[in-house]
Amino acid sequence: MPGQSGSATMNELAEPLLQVKGLSKSFAKRYLVHQSKFSLQNISLELYDGEVVGILGESGSGKSTLANIITRLTPFGEGQIFYRGKEIRSHSASERFEYKSEVQIVFQDPYGSLNPRSTIRNSIKEGLRLHQPQLSRPEMDERVDGLLSSVGLASENSNKYPHEFSGGQRQRIAIARAIAVQPTLLICDEPLSSLDVSIQAQIIELFASLIEEFRLTMLFISHDINVVRLLCDRVYVMSDGRIVEFGKTSEILNNPGNDYTIKLIDSVY
Amino acid sequence: MPNSPSPTGNAERNAILKLEGVCVALAASRKTMVRNISFSVRPGEIFGLAGESGSGKTLLMRTIFGLHDDAFVEKGRMTFKNTEFSSSEHRRRVRKLLGREIGFVPQDPFSSLNPTMRIGRQIREALYLGKGISPKSAEAGKTTLELLKEVGISEPATAVGQYPDQFSGGMRQRIVIAIALSQEPSILVADEPTTALDAYTQRRIINLIIERSRNRNLAVILISHNLELLRKNVDRIAVMYGGQLFNILASDEIGSSASHPYTEALFKCIPRKDMNLADIQSIPGEPLSAGYGAAGCAFSSRCGLRRDICDTSEIPVNASLEQEFDACLVRAGRRP
Amino acid sequence: MLVLAVIGPYVAPFDPLAIDFRNRLAEPSLTHILGTDGSGRDVLSRILYGAKLTILSTVTVIATVLVFGCILGIFSAFVGGTVDNFLMRIADVWLGFPPLILALGFAAALGSSLEAAIMALIFSWWPTYARLSRMITVDILSKKFVASANALGVSTFRKVTHYVLPNAFDVLIIQVTLDISAVMLAISGLSFIGVGAQVPAPEWGAMIAEGRSFTSKGWWIVTFPGLAIFITAMSFNLIGDMLRRELDPTLITRQ
Repeated sequence: MPGQSGSATMNELAEPLLQVKGLSKSFAKRYLVHQSKFSLQNISLELYDGEVVGILGESGSGKSTLANIITRLTPFGEGQIFYRGKEIRSHSASERFEYKSEVQIVFQDPYGSLNPRSTIRNSIKEGLRLHQPQLSRPEMDERVDGLLSSVGLASENSNKYPHEFSGGQRQRIAIARAIAVQPTLLICDEPLSSLDVSIQAQIIELFASLIEEFRLTMLFISHDINVVRLLCDRVYVMSDGRIVEFGKTSEILNNPGNDYTIKLIDSVY
Repeated sequence: MPNSPSPTGNAERNAILKLEGVCVALAASRKTMVRNISFSVRPGEIFGLAGESGSGKTLLMRTIFGLHDDAFVEKGRMTFKNTEFSSSEHRRRVRKLLGREIGFVPQDPFSSLNPTMRIGRQIREALYLGKGISPKSAEAGKTTLELLKEVGISEPATAVGQYPDQFSGGMRQRIVIAIALSQEPSILVADEPTTALDAYTQRRIINLIIERSRNRNLAVILISHNLELLRKNVDRIAVMYGGQLFNILASDEIGSSASHPYTEALFKCIPRKDMNLADIQSIPGEPLSAGYGAAGCAFSSRCGLRRDICDTSEIPVNASLEQEFDACLVRAGRRP
Repeated sequence: MLVLAVIGPYVAPFDPLAIDFRNRLAEPSLTHILGTDGSGRDVLSRILYGAKLTILSTVTVIATVLVFGCILGIFSAFVGGTVDNFLMRIADVWLGFPPLILALGFAAALGSSLEAAIMALIFSWWPTYARLSRMITVDILSKKFVASANALGVSTFRKVTHYVLPNAFDVLIIQVTLDISAVMLAISGLSFIGVGAQVPAPEWGAMIAEGRSFTSKGWWIVTFPGLAIFITAMSFNLIGDMLRRELDPTLITRQ
């Protein structure tokens, strides 16, 4: 359960599920005028089993890049990422494939993250086909129905196409798609920020119930301090591609030590 | 223009903006999207307009101020500074005031400035168009620098020679505000002016708008989906949903008996500092889009207080331009 | 139109190649519904026979460039980097070649024939499709739903068949319907300058070219083949539009 203290400290004795060590990545600056830096510098973080960890930062702080690196969508420069003690760049092809079912991602934009030419049933099935090919067709369909009900959607809707759903419903489908392969680690990259206020609250509730139902370890990337406060056990604060502060959510948000964190917290209503 | 005697108080008589029974329809389909909106804004007042996407808040504002080409004022009357705008000819007439009397700060600061023109020239041009100050005159130069200073640009002398893409989103929004202020408008309409910006910049921009409003006695209509942001910053809040006006209340009354069930529900959706996960109460279902066309209260299917009356009767309309207003049919029955 | 192309030869009242000098330049009448041309050949029959010739050669050109261009474009987009740049520069250079010059070259090499014209058009048309499909693919690959697929480890082949092609379909179909008329006219044009279909063959473009000299004496000779080209091009456009509407799930509305 997020918010409860104790579980995180206990886990710290164990081996982390995911460990990022000294990760750096720099992008070539494409524009002469723009001084925007999209680089990560010396990022280190740990995630333990069953934890919900927040990454808090403004847009441009590099948190999405970090999410893409961890899910192996983007290559990285220096540093190492260990998953269950094994460096992910040393993975063999089969280990790499395995890793892709262990670590899943939910993106910010629910409009772009579903294939517009595929029914949502097929979109959700995609991962099952790949990672659990032993399932028969009816078993897969049953699984899809179960997933849809877990995210609060009726299974009658499953043969519709993404454009027939609202933003909030699409985000539910994207979440169902991600958890279909029964990942251990779910990375959520700003999953709320393009949703309406009342729908955000629904998705927050959904995450809370999914964390319990599926015992998910979650890396929750957000710019919204109040959402991080609600969902996350621990938090890393990122600014300009660096981690400026980290610790238990309640401690960091109640007694921030870093100037940037203070500024961030002060600006929240 | 003399006002017909009405039961409303003095505040209404000197209101800077009055909307009475305004309906907005789409030009193409003639579909009524926003129904029977009535409220008034006092000079110097900071007025919040809250609602989720599809509530019609942006459509309403953009249409009454003539910024929307695809929608028109179908019914009702707008009075701006004692000038009445009837629904016909509305857009053409209001556009003459746009910029001069009505300042507009749009959502996206990245597309609202001309990317190929230096900042200084854009402001001077605005000064020329609005106030007839020659762009080359010393006065224009001086006023430009003053304006930039007023909106918190630290080195105005350097800024005038720069192009918009040399500024961050927050700085651009400041420049947009400077251009709006250059016309000395009597009302400033800010449509989600900070959604494209990060939290820190957002706060500073809102503060800037509030502070300018207080200094210049400038009325502000701040449109936002964030009820918490409005509650902390504005004097009164109007809440819209599904094209209907549900609630007008003083911002410190959110959560009190003055708030409509939707206002209350929406407020409970927003994570705040002092909340636990259990305190978050989402509203079931999906928000209704404006223009759904059925009778009754647009919120009824998601509302905990729903009675039969909610689906059969039309919701109350703020016809007498009360300062506070609650359109809940269920609560109306209980009130004296 | 396709039906016409298939059954055309069977319903044609006359032999399209039969020359009848007694009846040259006959106005449209009951025997020769659309009149006869300068050599006394029945125009209606020639149009009906020509339908097969014209449509077949057009479809050949389009189908070949579509398949070849898309394979190249999609491959290029997936590989990216230097290979991508190299292929696209070749396509650019190729686009710079005027098709007519290319066709003349082919005619010189292969002899003037309809086949040579088709080859020439294929060779000058593929870069359009390579570039277009590469552009669409790059765009689709940048979408988040492809990132989701990548996060699952979806194979490249499946990404092409299930993600890229269905989403590229409507842009490609629009390009195809636009190009059909262009290709048809190009074939006719090539026939006109003498490197395409040779004179007696009832190719529509060649018919117009041939009939040009009789415009003042027999308007029907150029008008009806022209009309045939126009109607065919338009019906292909309509077919394309219909296909797009039928196959695009985002245009389905329920309730």
